[in-house]
Amino acid sequence: MDYDVLVVGAGIAGMESAIKLGDMGKKVLLVEKEGSVGGRVILLSKVFPTLDCASCITTPRMATSIHHDNITAMTYTDIKAIHRGSDGTFKATVHQKARYVDEAACTGCQLCETACTVAVPDQFNYDLIARRAAYITFPQAVPKKAVIEREGTSPCTDTCPAGIKAHGYVSLIRNGKYEEAFQLVLDATPLVGTLGRACYAPCEGECTRGDLEGTLPIRRLKRFIADRHYAEQDGPGVVAAEPNGKAVAIVGSGPAGLTAAWQLARLGYRVRIFEADKEPGGFLRYALPTYRLPKEVVDQDISNVTALGVEIATNSPVQDPDALKLDGYDAVLIATGTPLSSSMGVPGEQLRGVLGGLDFLRDVRHDLVPDLKGKRVVIVGGGNVAMDAARTARRLGAAETLVAYRRGREEMPAHKAEVDDAEAEGVQFRFLVAPVEVVGDAQGKVTGVKCQRMELGQPDASGRRRPQPVAGSDFVIPCDIVVAAIGMSPDTASFARLLTLGEGRRIKVDPKTLQTEVPYLFAAGDVVLGPSDITTAVGQGRRAAHMMDRWLQGLEMSGFFALDDRLGVIDKAKVMARQKSFNHRDPVTLTLGHDKAPADFHEIEPALTEEEALRGAGSCLDCGVCSECGQCVAACPPNAIDLNMHEKTFDVEIGTVVLATGFKLFDATLKEDYGFGRFPNVITATQMDRQLAPTRPFNTVLRPSDGRVPDRIAYVSCVGSRDKTVGNPLCSKICCMYTAKQNQLIMGALPLADVSVHYMDVRAAGKRYEEFYEQAKAMGANYIKGRVAKITELENGNLVLRYEDIDNGGQITEAEYDLVVLAVGVQPSREAEKLFPDESLTLDDFFFVAEADEDLSSGETNLPGVYVAGTASGAKDIVDSILHAGSAVAQAAAHLETVNAKKVPV
Amino acid sequence: MSERRIGVFICHCGGNISDYVDVAAVRDAIKDEPDVVVAETTIFACADATQTDMVQAIKEQNLDGLVVASCSPKLHTFTFRGVARRAGMNPYTYTQVNIREQNSWAHTDDPAGATRKAIRLVKAGIAKTRLSTPLHPLEVETTPATLVIGGGVAGLRAAIGLADIGLGVYLIERGSEIGGWVAKFGNMYPQGRKGSKLVDELMAEVEKRSTIKVFTNAELTAKSGSFGNYKVDIHIGGPKSMGISLNVGSIVVATGFDTYEPEVGEYGYGIDGVLTLPKFKALVDSSKGSLTYHGRPVKTIAYIYCVGSRQPEGNAYCSRYCCAATVHASLEVQNLDPKVHQYHLYRDMRTYGKYELMYTETRERGSVFMKYLEDTPPSVSRNAAGQLVVTTADSLTGGQEVSIPADLVVLVTGMVPRKNDTLINALKLPVGSDGFFNEIHPKLRPVETVVDGVMIAGACQGPKNSSESVASGLAAVTQSAAMLKKGVAELDPMVAQVNAEACTWCGLCEETCPYAAVAKTEVDGREVATVDAAVCKGCGGCAPVCPQDAIDLRGYTDQQIRAMIENLAEVPAL
Repeated sequence: MDYDVLVVGAGIAGMESAIKLGDMGKKVLLVEKEGSVGGRVILLSKVFPTLDCASCITTPRMATSIHHDNITAMTYTDIKAIHRGSDGTFKATVHQKARYVDEAACTGCQLCETACTVAVPDQFNYDLIARRAAYITFPQAVPKKAVIEREGTSPCTDTCPAGIKAHGYVSLIRNGKYEEAFQLVLDATPLVGTLGRACYAPCEGECTRGDLEGTLPIRRLKRFIADRHYAEQDGPGVVAAEPNGKAVAIVGSGPAGLTAAWQLARLGYRVRIFEADKEPGGFLRYALPTYRLPKEVVDQDISNVTALGVEIATNSPVQDPDALKLDGYDAVLIATGTPLSSSMGVPGEQLRGVLGGLDFLRDVRHDLVPDLKGKRVVIVGGGNVAMDAARTARRLGAAETLVAYRRGREEMPAHKAEVDDAEAEGVQFRFLVAPVEVVGDAQGKVTGVKCQRMELGQPDASGRRRPQPVAGSDFVIPCDIVVAAIGMSPDTASFARLLTLGEGRRIKVDPKTLQTEVPYLFAAGDVVLGPSDITTAVGQGRRAAHMMDRWLQGLEMSGFFALDDRLGVIDKAKVMARQKSFNHRDPVTLTLGHDKAPADFHEIEPALTEEEALRGAGSCLDCGVCSECGQCVAACPPNAIDLNMHEKTFDVEIGTVVLATGFKLFDATLKEDYGFGRFPNVITATQMDRQLAPTRPFNTVLRPSDGRVPDRIAYVSCVGSRDKTVGNPLCSKICCMYTAKQNQLIMGALPLADVSVHYMDVRAAGKRYEEFYEQAKAMGANYIKGRVAKITELENGNLVLRYEDIDNGGQITEAEYDLVVLAVGVQPSREAEKLFPDESLTLDDFFFVAEADEDLSSGETNLPGVYVAGTASGAKDIVDSILHAGSAVAQAAAHLETVNAKKVPV
Repeated sequence: MSERRIGVFICHCGGNISDYVDVAAVRDAIKDEPDVVVAETTIFACADATQTDMVQAIKEQNLDGLVVASCSPKLHTFTFRGVARRAGMNPYTYTQVNIREQNSWAHTDDPAGATRKAIRLVKAGIAKTRLSTPLHPLEVETTPATLVIGGGVAGLRAAIGLADIGLGVYLIERGSEIGGWVAKFGNMYPQGRKGSKLVDELMAEVEKRSTIKVFTNAELTAKSGSFGNYKVDIHIGGPKSMGISLNVGSIVVATGFDTYEPEVGEYGYGIDGVLTLPKFKALVDSSKGSLTYHGRPVKTIAYIYCVGSRQPEGNAYCSRYCCAATVHASLEVQNLDPKVHQYHLYRDMRTYGKYELMYTETRERGSVFMKYLEDTPPSVSRNAAGQLVVTTADSLTGGQEVSIPADLVVLVTGMVPRKNDTLINALKLPVGSDGFFNEIHPKLRPVETVVDGVMIAGACQGPKNSSESVASGLAAVTQSAAMLKKGVAELDPMVAQVNAEACTWCGLCEETCPYAAVAKTEVDGREVATVDAAVCKGCGGCAPVCPQDAIDLRGYTDQQIRAMIENLAEVPAL
């Protein structure tokens, strides 16, 4: 056996069980799902009836439970399953959640907490205040080690093909850390300004806020930080590593090539980019019209790369990568994209006035502008290039611009916003038409396009319905210019000598490593994928750089964490279920006033104002909790934080099990008449206990609505207990006593405050409990018999309690208070029964773990060798939990004697 | 001793101390004391992270003395001795200075005064530590057996539990029968089993275990030795009266309770038909078919709760079990005859936890509950027709006075501590103001007493019902096993030692010692006193009575105490 005993849960009952078993010489595995042992007791102010400070009496046990020679304590760990073996032992599957912090290295200094940009409700203060996603469980945590809470990768980040941490930079922006946000994007790509404008923002499509008021303006937030950086800083603010003596050549200066160059240069490689055109940027410069992506932005982004010493040789087409190898480059990346426009393959394409889509856009950027004034232009195709061409034609003064597309509007591959914008700028559309011939005059000049009508048939491989010609439907669209924007392809003919080309003359690579069949030769971007988009090409560039680095270092060509090995995406339903309701947040939207006849190429989309940026970023729901902004990693002095850490699951063999899984508090929102969750000054008693604790969040008692110190405080007993209307007829046993305790503490903390308790019966049943209750009354607590029927809120935040005043003749009475404290009860945690997939742990009628023989063997369950300790079996106060644990442990130890007897060979 | 290296840590206790004591000023005032090489303040000295810091400081600074100024030594002496041990320092060179219970909490109205006092206390602690010497606990082998006193359900279940863990058990019962109160009971809650059946089941289990020896008519008369190795003398009465001695490692006291016996006239007690709860329980248990009393059918019952409990002038405590027991009895009555009218005159119904279900059920089946206020208790009398009448002011109906003619009046009497002076004296059991035995800490250590190795279980510690008593009996098993299963016990080395050269044997120390730890011996032909370190409790009683100043208490030597006093007497400027 690995351990004699498994104790599940390290609250007071679990710690007591583990320590006593350890003292007996048993080897104990103590497992706690939170980041610290201590359970609920350590969160208390003081305890009844001794008024001992809860910290003072609990911390020694907490320390003992992890320092004990016979106890192995695992925090932030849970048990997945417990299976019974044939020899009387059990096999438990232990799941150590990833803490993302090296426990051995962490010193508990809390700098990660200070640096963290994500705030979430602090469950250890019962949601009174927020804590950070990077946090120490509570000040007295044992072990005092940080946890980074990562529930999953946020959907925005997860969907980004470039692996950009969208949630991270959004989170940094809302904290005013604009430069840090820029640096976070820069860590993935130098093209921050470009992506802030020209990315199609799949992140926004996944944004969970999109299911409420509308998505965050994630792309425009990126532009915001880029604009700010370029306005305020010279250079990227990144220093490359010491030169490592190796050189890499990159062919092509589009998004893939620039990104790869940036990454490799940072690592210390000498990088030279070979660009065939006269200026660098590839598609960014030549295919994207400047009204979408101004050339200054491209220049700024490229300057990040050159700032690291990357040389860009323009007018330098590369035909033969071998020659680069011979020139001393250790590796070569081909990232030449898809520069060739596809032809329509119809008669008449040679006529004057027929242009390729890309060629047309490139000519415009080279100032080889054809005169379109008063001309009729037909664009054939339905992709983004077609839209760019059409809108460019409008700007060049075309009299009519018509997009002819062979399928319907819904089937267009162009981004919807592009289509809408084109239409707003006066572009016309003809759907379900395909060119069959370009017709011209005797001078060889275009006069029109002969088209045939199409109809949609069965879906094809792409899932879109296949267009089929309608026989005899030919007609001619008269025009002067035809732009064929029907596709693009790579220009790879010169590489065929070295490499096998795949479909569409694309370069064949291993999709994970981007390595070709020639080991020093890698390829990335559209030359590998075919036409994709900028962000996908950026991702390819990152991957290529990472893999080239690994290859050049002689490392194993394994996965690339940033893209391949990330934490699974969080389930949006889980995110939405975290909150009962959401405050409305006005989305930051954009309505462009389009010019029906745009005359120039100035940038259309306005930048976000700072106010919009903060409002937009502030709407983030922190889906994955941790945003991966990386601030904690940078802040941690001993470098203990590793966001790439993995959870661990393993099996242990054990002799017996003690379940100390504790209880859940009643959710006071279910008692609607009391207004909890609606009236800010109605709080729960656990929240009050936190306000009275030595580690109290506000350093005094105050009411939430206005932060005022309350003068009149009312307690309402039996909230969620003895109440069939909420499904719990049981008494929770602890509430009367903690009420009497809090009364005394409040009267100590706020000597002028009046405290009243609206009760049904005062259940001070226990040693010195009655005396303690009498003491509360003697100190001035005003006990009023009668269940509260309803609580209403006044305009000033005060609360009116309506009740039958039994002590004074039974009148229906109303009383006004500043603060109302609900004495919430105990509910089953429902955790223990999940642990036994092979057998059924019996529960009582109220879903607490049932005891097989409460008369004689308290703590025994229906499963042999499995015991229950503390509130997992029903409401108990601390001393009852200790006694109950003692009872369970006596039987667990006795059971071990029989297990060990069986295990000794005869 | 000179050239010590002492570390001093002064605790905020989250505010418990620092709200009243200027902790930084205390640190500044003592940091230049001789031999102090580390002087720090900390938010929670007991927090694990601080403990880790202390271990590091002890190792790095090569400390040979540690002072923590925080709370009562009762709470954390062992915590910080553990820190010292983990750091490789002798744990007995650690001194705890109490600046909370004996300072910050006591002087909340005078922060400056509290700060000055804290400085003096800490300086005294440092002075004591400078004179400390490394001590080593005495290790003794323990006897793997336990004496259980009391043959009720708690004692019986404890005996079985101890045997199942591999400890030998002697169970002694003062009476002639095993089973205590529960053996007499019929149906019980929560599981509806008969009390007599529970005891039968337990006895059957006891008989299966050869390692349990049961003695009836047996009383403990004397105890000697120390934790782990007690020798107990048992007197066995009956026809063959005899005395035996047993060696045990620990003792579980489970001597149970008595029921409250009302004064004649208290709520009509003494009038025929006015019964205590145990008498009524016996009546219900013995009834078949319908409920009768002295041959007369019982049609109406009135219960008066809290008789002998929650009385400012009498037993101030709540007896915990009676509400649920009465509600359970009323359900039994309803089972016998659903037509019986039952009126419950209560103060607060304390059917805590799952027992609430019984309370709900008896109401649904017809029991009527009327709340009376403490200052207007019900009265019981006989009317002209000779019938019992209970009169009460029902606060649930606006204080209306209600007269209930009843066939039976049940006084819901609580538990009282059992008289047991011989045992209390022999074991030196601590008794609380309520007369029940006192545990060492009512919250966290409910079955341990201040006497090491002597546990209390069941209702002798305070009112409990049967299943709660059994659970505490098992908890005492756990505590016994935690102490004895290791096989060795560490005894505190802070005991008295005799300077044989100075001793002239006058015998005063022997007379003073409450533990019989001092004896006369011969050294070099001279009669001198000697102290049995395993028996001595370190109370220090012998040291001041010695006319020759020949006795010193290890860890609290005269020299140390004198140094502390000198430092306490010096008033610091602030």
